[in-house]
Amino acid sequence: MRKSKRSRRRRASPTVRSLACTVASPASTKAKMALLDLFIRTCCILALLSREDFQRIPELAINPLGDRIINAFFSEGEDQVNFRGFMRTLAHFRPIEDNEKSKDQNGPEPLNSRSNKLHFAFRLYDLDKDDKISRDELLQVLRMMVGVNISDEQLGSIADRTIQEADQDGDCAISFAEFVKVLEKVDVEQKMSIRFLH
Amino acid sequence: MGAAALRALPWALLLLLGPLLPGQRLQADATRVSEPTWEQPWGEPGGITAAPLATAQEVHPLNKQHHNHSAEGHPKPRKAFPVLGIDYSHVRIPFEISLWILLACLMKMGFHVMSSVSKVVPESCLLIVVGLLVGGLIKAVGEKPPILKSDIFFLFLLPPIILDAGYFLPLRQFTENLGTILIFAVVGTLWNAFFLGGLMYAVCQIGGSGLNHIGLLANLLFGSIISAVDPVAVLAVFEEIHINELLHILVFGESLLNDAVTVVLYHLFEEFANFEQVTIIDMVLGFLSFFVVSLGGVFVGVIYGLIAAFTSRFTSNIRVIEPLFVFLYSYMAYLSAEIFHLSGIMALIASGVVMRPYVEANISHKSHTTIKYFLKMWSSVSETLIFIFLGVSTVAGQHYWNWTFVISTLLFCLIARVLGVLVLTWFINKFRIVKLTPKDQFIIAYGGLRGAIAFSLCYLLDYEHFNMRDMFLTAIITVIFFTVFVQGMTIRPLVDLLAVKKKQETKRSINEEIHTQFLDHLLTGIEDICGHYGHHHWKDKLNRFNKKYVKKCLIAGERSKEPQLIAFYHKMEMKQAIELVESGGLGKIPSTISAVSIQNISPKTLPDSNALSALSKDKEDEIRKILRSNLQKTRQRLRSYNRHTLVADPYEDVWNQMLMKRQKMQQAELQNAYLTVPANRIDSPTMSRARIGSDPLAYEPKPDSENLPIITIDPASPQSPESMDLSNEVPKGCGGLPPSPEEDEEGLVMRPKEPSSPGTDDVFTPGTSDSPSSQRMLRCLSDPGPRQEPEEGEPFIPKGQ
Repeated sequence: MRKSKRSRRRRASPTVRSLACTVASPASTKAKMALLDLFIRTCCILALLSREDFQRIPELAINPLGDRIINAFFSEGEDQVNFRGFMRTLAHFRPIEDNEKSKDQNGPEPLNSRSNKLHFAFRLYDLDKDDKISRDELLQVLRMMVGVNISDEQLGSIADRTIQEADQDGDCAISFAEFVKVLEKVDVEQKMSIRFLH
Repeated sequence: MGAAALRALPWALLLLLGPLLPGQRLQADATRVSEPTWEQPWGEPGGITAAPLATAQEVHPLNKQHHNHSAEGHPKPRKAFPVLGIDYSHVRIPFEISLWILLACLMKMGFHVMSSVSKVVPESCLLIVVGLLVGGLIKAVGEKPPILKSDIFFLFLLPPIILDAGYFLPLRQFTENLGTILIFAVVGTLWNAFFLGGLMYAVCQIGGSGLNHIGLLANLLFGSIISAVDPVAVLAVFEEIHINELLHILVFGESLLNDAVTVVLYHLFEEFANFEQVTIIDMVLGFLSFFVVSLGGVFVGVIYGLIAAFTSRFTSNIRVIEPLFVFLYSYMAYLSAEIFHLSGIMALIASGVVMRPYVEANISHKSHTTIKYFLKMWSSVSETLIFIFLGVSTVAGQHYWNWTFVISTLLFCLIARVLGVLVLTWFINKFRIVKLTPKDQFIIAYGGLRGAIAFSLCYLLDYEHFNMRDMFLTAIITVIFFTVFVQGMTIRPLVDLLAVKKKQETKRSINEEIHTQFLDHLLTGIEDICGHYGHHHWKDKLNRFNKKYVKKCLIAGERSKEPQLIAFYHKMEMKQAIELVESGGLGKIPSTISAVSIQNISPKTLPDSNALSALSKDKEDEIRKILRSNLQKTRQRLRSYNRHTLVADPYEDVWNQMLMKRQKMQQAELQNAYLTVPANRIDSPTMSRARIGSDPLAYEPKPDSENLPIITIDPASPQSPESMDLSNEVPKGCGGLPPSPEEDEEGLVMRPKEPSSPGTDDVFTPGTSDSPSSQRMLRCLSDPGPRQEPEEGEPFIPKGQ
């Protein structure tokens, strides 16, 4: 009998919290043992998640970006996400720690670096995965955030203005580099971080 | 030379004041009324006292007395009818107050003229020096210089500064760092108070005979008075160094929130000093009273804020007194809190924070400007006066200098502050996502300035219980001088030396706004998935509650439904339109589809931008034809100014009703509109809404703008399509309906008209309701926005907004 998402989520929470910090790091053996331990304990409950499981979270239903967030967990074409995939996505939101900046210069960039965080957000805009936020994609996002009362023309002009401000190479779309530049003053490290450990 | 003349002026004024006072005394003697009763008004320390009424009343009965005397006793020599007489006592109090304020303003002006000095020395130091000089001058003349009376300080000088700070508080950063700020404010101040009090008690015990009699409670009281970081001093110094927003809000927020702690400790120890013994119950009650004071203060503030927001909902017909509501309700919140010994500062801040979003959505653009500038003006003058009076009071007060006490106070203050910050930061960093670096800690510790609040609190102590008050005063003044002079002067080079991040001066772009909201939603969703009820979750819940219930009550009309993004966007557009008008520049219309909206005018457009899809040629011509014909209504002059009405607004509600009808019609017509240029009424209400709630930092008009031209466009003059753009801005929202002939002749037509029947909702139909909207548009654009002031970059920028 599949347990409800809510109880699963509650059980997921300590797992998430304690494992999110280890999954993305070149973890110590102890942490890896803890990971394995918890994985074994929870894998019977959390074998696979599907979209319906996410949709059962009531707050996501009223979140304007709910669907997109859910889609971000599932990789291309898949309908199920396993534990590792789930963690991988959540690992983007780990806070950046100072001591990480010094070690591992030659290794791959950790998932929770500023650049990767921004890339995650960028991918939520960019549905057709052409590495650009086109006017239509921006319009869709605006429409979701603003609601139904505002006219299309008005949203259109907001979108135009937005693209105009950000666009530097004149292709009427926002590329990732432009996206990063626009958000350089926003404190992304703080904004896109959740403290998993308390 | 101008500078020298400016500097000479206040001295001239004071010298004028000097002889007038002894002159009055001579006159008093001549009437031969009993000496002691006349001495009283002069014996009171200071012209600006807390009892102006009392002295005035004293004067009048004495005058009567004088007449009686002369009637009974001595036969008065008959005087000729005085053609010109001097009656200074009549206006003495207001005159002196005005002189002081004038002195403060002239000093401020003078400092900006002598810019070389003000780069090195912060303004607060200069003002204290001026106060010292003025005090010395008054003493030299033979008069007793006024001391900064606590009543005047707490009731009149402090509230404007706090209201200014609270109303323009950068809420986002404040709430994000609220935990840190609270810990610094509460725990830090408690630590400072007890550490300092305890150590001073130890010093007093071993300090020799002069100090032995000061008990533990007196020392603790002294510690609690001096331990609080002062918001006025912090504001004055930090504004000039343009430090990054995080540090600024940390130190400033701490200085605001520690008021509750200070109030509680002060009253606690003052009461306890009268008790023989302090029991546990008293301490528990003291602990409880902290919560009562702080939460009670916030509660009072919130109540008044909500009432003010609600009141502003109905002020659409009396726009001129809108700012007054804001000021009065906030001040009443402060006074009400003070009645119950609650924290007045927290009440003031809470009311400002609560009322602001709703009031700004309701009031007119001009009222918003008025509020902003009045607050800046009052807080600026208050700050100046406070520092000057600090200087004067130093000269005037009675001092008792005790080397041990003063030096050890100073030393322990600094040590306590540094230790407190270090320990607390170590603790706080465990919970913060973005940790505080040692550099940050240094600035926070160094920015713990003391100021006039400590001085006034000490002055409030009465002599019979605290006969060492003079010694306390001396010590406090020394600490204040040290922090303001030494720390204030050196913090700027230190900030440069340590390469601390400075404030970023740019405004928020629409990109930032959109993406920040996007990230907010994203993070809320992720938090929900994790089951983690964090910052975003609660913020989201509050926003939803706000949108669903509160906004409907407190914001008038259609604006209650306007999403935040749209409001922000229109503020931006509005500001840009004003800039464009002021600079007289004309941008080329970037070729986009929605030509009906003002949003397309962008001064940054490159001439060869083929950015977005182009309008076909005939569509462009159609649009231009429509707009040109519409422009005949745009010759506009403001009516003669009537004190009780502001012209634009009475028609807004009627307009909104008409617009709602049109909106419904347009939804239906949108699919089969022949031209993709709908008569887009939907833009108009939002354009009119753009008048409201402008971002205080948003206006940076060009410095070379002279009188704002009122847009009077003569359509008969030959104009190239490009130059039509500026005028096109104006009635764009109206969607180009040609006027009816009679309106054309009347010029400014302010009659509300019903829209023509629904069937005529077509681009070319004469819409009689256009004129108010287009004229309102113009009025918006011709509204002289705030001018670029030299002080925009100085202390009176809305703090870190």
